[in-house]
Amino acid sequence: MWRRAVSSGYICLQCRRSVAPKARWFSRAERTFCAPVLPAGKITPLQAVDLWRRHFEERGVTEPDHSSQYIIAHLLGAKTIESVEQRKLTEFLSREKTEQIWTLCTQRLSRMPVQYIIEEWDFRDLTLKMRPPVFIPRPETECSLSVLVQELVELVLADLKTATGERADAQHTCLEVGCGSGAISLSLLSCLPQLQAVALDQSQDAVDLTRENALRLGVQDRLQTHHLDVMKDPDVVFSLCSPVSALVSNPPYLFSEDLSSLEPEILKFEDPAALDGGTDGLNVIQQILTMAPKILSNHGRVYLEVDPRHPPLILHWVEANVEELRYVETRHDITGRPRFCILQKRGP
Amino acid sequence: MSRIFTSFRFVFHESWPLALRNGSCPSRSPLLRAPPAGLTYVCAAGKKDLLDLPVLNEDEFEEQFVRGSGPGGQATNKTSNCVVLKHIPTGIVVKCHQTRSVEINRKRAREIMREKLDVADKGELSEVLLKKKESVLRKQDKKKKAHENLERKKQFKEALVADSRHGNDTV
Repeated sequence: MWRRAVSSGYICLQCRRSVAPKARWFSRAERTFCAPVLPAGKITPLQAVDLWRRHFEERGVTEPDHSSQYIIAHLLGAKTIESVEQRKLTEFLSREKTEQIWTLCTQRLSRMPVQYIIEEWDFRDLTLKMRPPVFIPRPETECSLSVLVQELVELVLADLKTATGERADAQHTCLEVGCGSGAISLSLLSCLPQLQAVALDQSQDAVDLTRENALRLGVQDRLQTHHLDVMKDPDVVFSLCSPVSALVSNPPYLFSEDLSSLEPEILKFEDPAALDGGTDGLNVIQQILTMAPKILSNHGRVYLEVDPRHPPLILHWVEANVEELRYVETRHDITGRPRFCILQKRGP
Repeated sequence: MSRIFTSFRFVFHESWPLALRNGSCPSRSPLLRAPPAGLTYVCAAGKKDLLDLPVLNEDEFEEQFVRGSGPGGQATNKTSNCVVLKHIPTGIVVKCHQTRSVEINRKRAREIMREKLDVADKGELSEVLLKKKESVLRKQDKKKKAHENLERKKQFKEALVADSRHGNDTV
């Protein structure tokens, strides 16, 4: 009864108004208010996935299939629909479960990102809590970690190889600027038991979420978090820790003028301060690079995730402005775009 | 010394094929250098049955991600992370979207690819197929034994019944 052919639209039982499938002339508020009604009879998870995929498609919600699959899988206690038992997928859902599905899927109609709706997401082998407006880790960042982990491992092993009693216990610290949910620092801490990390963010929400995720992963003893804006208080950073082996950041790097064309998932829900890098997207990047020589130990490295247009700009800017840093290389992300800049502090 | 190897193995299990698209590779310490036969090494340490599967040569692969044509990175928030791995010489394609992490999907795609290449390469002699055969044979063996046991019990019971009847007769 709640099903109608797409061409004829449907009756919204809440407001009793007939809604055409692509009613552009209705305001956004009215469209989201008219949420699909709960089914009268029982349905199975597979039917729910299909139903909501169609709802999302009708409303122009991006990734209609993934959205419905991830939300419903999550409510069934799984991370992906593929990992739900076949048997369970064709069993009728309880009323309570159906209502939960409807509540969460309705949130997706407002274009809230799936990660915020289910309040978690995976980053490499970690599951992290997510909460608006803290920046959601991107898949591109996952692969940059592999490079970073590799290099930090070599650092530690090199120390141990040339060890005197003292050097063998040398602490290696990594500083992260703009930690967000803590994805980068926490991945490093869980990969490298010898590592200490210091994580900063200008957002208190981000600092709190990083802390919460650290506790859930049991790495809180090796992590310091600070609510700090490197643009306003760079000097405070220098007093936080002794020279670090690595300075890593996925800083806000979007060009200000590009912000308004972002998808609603980002524009409406994520912290703009985590995205806006200024006119040329380089404001925070340049600040980090200026500070780097004072934070890094000799031969310590900076790892930055940037916009694909940035690497040559950064190379030239550093050559002209930060003599103590040497541009090492540009790495590409999984789609082949230049995405990561690696720089190194020159030795004495 | 054991501390090194604990952390080494732990880390090495996590670290995983570098994207070699740009051709450059950071210099590696001897301990981390991959075996000469291939450029990458999928560490299977810790798994119960260590298979002798082929080492993957990243140059022979094409990798695709369904991410769209936009700028990516901070400008996009997509949840689709399907990895498609194609082995150019054989044309074998592996698709993986088992997890919510693109890096883990890449890793799994390579594990599946190694098994497929092993089957393609060695045919019936492939370790993957041999293991499967072994497990099938083991199951058949188990069934046979269980059936034999049941038969023996049945015969025993029948013998008991026959005995008691015979006993009654003689009383």
